[in-house]
Parts: sequence; C-alpha cells; structure tokens
Amino acid sequence: MANKKIPRTAIMPYLFVAPVLILLFVFNILPLLSAFIISLFDISITLGQPKFIGLENFIEIIGDSRFWNSLKITLKWTAVEVPLQVILALILSAALTDNSLFNRIIRGIYFLPIICSATVVGIMWKLILHSNIGYISYLLRLLGFENINLMNSPTVTFYVIVFMSIWKTFGISVTIFVSAMQSVPKSLYEAAELDNAGKIRQFFSITLPYISPTLWFIIMTRLISSLQVFDIVYTTTGGGPNFTTETLVTYIYTRAFEVYRMGYASAVSVCLFFIILIITVILYSRMLKQEKEY
Amino acid sequence: MNSLNRKVKKIILNIPIYIILIFLAIIVIMPILWMLLSSFKPKGEIISYPPTFFPSKFTTENYVRLAKRVKIFDFVRNSVIYAVFSTIPSVLLCSLAGYAFARYNFKGRSVLFILVLATMMIPFQVIMIPLFLIVSGVGMYDTYWGLILPRIAVPISVFMMRSAFVVLPKELEEASRIDGLSEFGIFWRIMLPQVKPTFVTLVILGVNAAWNDLMWPLLITGDMSMRTLSNGLAMFVGTDTSEHGPAFAGGLIAVIPMLILYLFGQKYFVRGTVTSGIKA
Repeated sequence: MANKKIPRTAIMPYLFVAPVLILLFVFNILPLLSAFIISLFDISITLGQPKFIGLENFIEIIGDSRFWNSLKITLKWTAVEVPLQVILALILSAALTDNSLFNRIIRGIYFLPIICSATVVGIMWKLILHSNIGYISYLLRLLGFENINLMNSPTVTFYVIVFMSIWKTFGISVTIFVSAMQSVPKSLYEAAELDNAGKIRQFFSITLPYISPTLWFIIMTRLISSLQVFDIVYTTTGGGPNFTTETLVTYIYTRAFEVYRMGYASAVSVCLFFIILIITVILYSRMLKQEKEY
Repeated sequence: MNSLNRKVKKIILNIPIYIILIFLAIIVIMPILWMLLSSFKPKGEIISYPPTFFPSKFTTENYVRLAKRVKIFDFVRNSVIYAVFSTIPSVLLCSLAGYAFARYNFKGRSVLFILVLATMMIPFQVIMIPLFLIVSGVGMYDTYWGLILPRIAVPISVFMMRSAFVVLPKELEEASRIDGLSEFGIFWRIMLPQVKPTFVTLVILGVNAAWNDLMWPLLITGDMSMRTLSNGLAMFVGTDTSEHGPAFAGGLIAVIPMLILYLFGQKYFVRGTVTSGIKA
C-alpha cells in the first residue's frame, strides 16, 4: 500500500497489536503449553519439589473410576442439554420471529437470565425448589406431586440442574435464532404460500435450511460450553449427591484446589482439551459437508 | 368477511402458542421476582409453611444480617473494581489491535490475526491450572493485578473490532494523515468514534462477564476481603445453608446492577449476543 512512503506507519501497526498479543501469549498460549508439561509432573500447589513422572498421571486416569464417572456425567449433560436447548430455542424463535410488541416483550424477558450470575441462579433456584421453604415445591405439592427433594436426589437432581442451565442460556439461543430467521427472504415464504405449504412444512423446507449455519454455530457453542460446565454445578450441588452431578471440570477443580494435585488435575485438563478438540473437529467437518449439500 | 374469518381463526389457533410463550415467561421471571420479594420478608415468614409469594411485611433485616455475616461491602467494591478495570483497558487495547488488523497492511498480519482467532478456541477450564500457577508464581495471588491482567486480552473483542473498522471508508484516515495527525491520533480522534456502537457493546458485555465471572476470582483470591460478589456469595451460600434471608439479599445485590445495565443497554446486549454468540 501507499504506506511505504511514510516510514512512521511501518512500525505503528506492530505497536498497536503488541499489547494484546503479549497478553494473549502470557495468559493464554503459555498456560496451554504449560498444561501439557505440568501433566507430566507430580506437583503441588506450592510448586515445591516437582517430580517428573512421565505418563504416570495418564495411566492413573485410566484406572480412576471417579474420572470415568465425571466423563460420563459430562457426556450425559451434553446429550441432554444441547438437544433440549436447541429444539426449544428453535420452536420459540419460530413463534417469536415477527417484531410485534408482544414478541419483543417476550424476547426481552427470555433474555433476562443472562444477566444473572451462576451464583444468583444457584441461590434463587435452590431456594425456590427447597423442599421446605421453596415456592415451586409448594406449588408442585398443591398439584399433587409427592414431596421429593429436588436438590438432593441421585436420580432427579441432575436433570434439575440441566434445567437451570437451559433456563439461564436459552434466551441467548433464541436471540441468535430470531435474528437469523428474520433474515430469511420473505419471498421464499410467499412462494411457499402459493404452493399451499403449511407453516410446519415451511419451517422444515425453508427456515431450517436457510438458517443452518446459525444452527450449527449454536450447536457447536452449546456443545463446547456443555463439555466445560462447572459454574452452575459449583453453585448448586458441588457435584453431589453421591457424585451424580460431578462433571469433568468439577472433578478437575477438586483435584487441583481441594487436594492440591496440580499435575494430576492438569492431566485431566489435557484429556478435556482433546475431547473438546475431537468433538469440534468432527462437528465442523460434518457442518462443512452439509453446507456443500445445500 | 372471509378474510376476517381467517384472521379470527388464525388468532384462535395461535392461543395455545401464546399461552405457552407466556407460561415460559412466567417461569423465567418467577424465581427472580420471588428472590426480590423474599429478600424483604422477615425471617419467620421465610421459613413458615406454606411459603408466601408476597411479603406480609417489608423489612431490611436480611440485608443487615448479610452485612454482619460476610464482607458484603468488600465483595461489591471488588466486583466493581474487577468489572471496571478489566473492561476499560480490555476494550481500548482490543480496539487498538482490531484497528491495526483492519486498517494497516503489515507483514505477518494474517498469521498474527489467525493466531488471535486460534486462542479463542482455548477453553479457560483447560488452562486455568497453569494460569493459576503462573499468576500466583509471580506473587499476584490475592491481588487486583492477578485478578485483572489475564482478563484484558479478549480475542472475540479484537475480532468484533476488526469487523467494525474494516468497513469504514479509506478517505477518513487519508484525509487526517494529510492534516498531519499522528497515527495514534487518527485512531483515537477520527476512527474510534466511528465504531461507537461496537465499543459500547463490548463495554457492556465485558462488565457483565466480569461481574458474573465465578471461576477465575474463585481461584485467584483467597482472603475474604478480596472476594468478588459472585464467588464470595457462592461460598457463603455453600457453607451456610440455613441463612436463607441473607442469601436472598445477597442474590439481589448481585443482580440489581446488571438488571439496570440491561434495562438501559438491552439493544447492545442483543447486538453483542448476535455478533459474538457469547456464552454465559
């Protein structure tokens, strides 16, 4: 470009990007590399006397039933949360696409939970579902449900927390879907009306194919954050009862910051990294394949 | 007549949909509203059966008890410091980088930009242990520096800023260059004001993210007077399960500032969500 004539501009762009790049290197890239190295050590939180043990942490993981349990819980979480959230958000977005006043108010309300931290979500849902003082537990009892302890049941609590997670984030999915659905050209629907195609038919043959990049984007981001779920578990059950809600990241947290086994926790993190990587790559190639088909 | 009939029919057919939409809206609002109202209920009313929705009598005793039990003023101060001093430098530095990636043609530009995008894919949960060891290793455990510094470089902000700058007409900076403005002056006085909506969006999203951040403050702070609202309250609620009233009060204190931010900046929240797909 013409910049060659002006020497002062040659160095400026580097100065402009340097602060961000340096910070990213120190606080993102370096820790990622370190995670791999630390996973080969037996190392405590004080960093005193680190001992190189090779792949021993990984060998220990293979025989660690609590690791496999937390992996199972994480995959179960993903398998339940992602489809439920995506289908719910798709249906709601289809109903809320128009910018009528009613729709805008409802969308504004659905978005509201995003401003609540996991701590706030934990406090209010734990208490509103509390077996003694909770208002929803009381309403459920009025409706004839038996008195189950929603927050302390090995069978139900997992689903209750998944519900809270969906409650907290579905407004984001709805917002993104609505914006994609609004960009579908009206003429496509008009043509379909002429062919007497019903609303449901229109949804499947026009809306869904048209927004498929957005759909994949939502599936991918929801999937990745499901595999990393921690906050909502920490603020509600802490992994209990009886480890039925202990996810991978919850397990990593307890290894590192409750029993101070930094090396072992890092090894589990490295496993998490590869699980996320593999799933992302599979999904991404699927997505590209499907986009070619359209 | 026929078209009127169809219209009426359409509305009647849609009634179940409206009912479902309103029902879900109630489920969204109910816990927030119940927490708000319960935080003003006397202790006896909170634990009475059947539970009430509206308080029979307003009291602030829960807030007083909360202040006695935890360092709530410290929590609020730390949350404000964390939100403000991580967001402002973050948005400024990310704007600067996004601007350089959008408006200059320099060697290594695409490689460096791809590098920035690639770091977007690094899950925080994977790097948190080494990050903790590095930050506490250099003596920044339990300090504002340790809390804030790792949160300043945000790849998605660089990405969004680049997208905002890249569409501006070239004449803008060329005219200013002829006028003799410095390169930084062009960025600061001419170009940055052009991307104000994106700037505001990033500020609002940044404040919300820091205010609600749980994991990093949980790891890097230890002293109760260094805790932020989100992790200080989480610990309080986790250790003391019988203090329902103060828990309601704390929850409300944590949510009110974000509620105000949302009421004033709703369109920026929505804009930012659609363009960045922020995960919460």
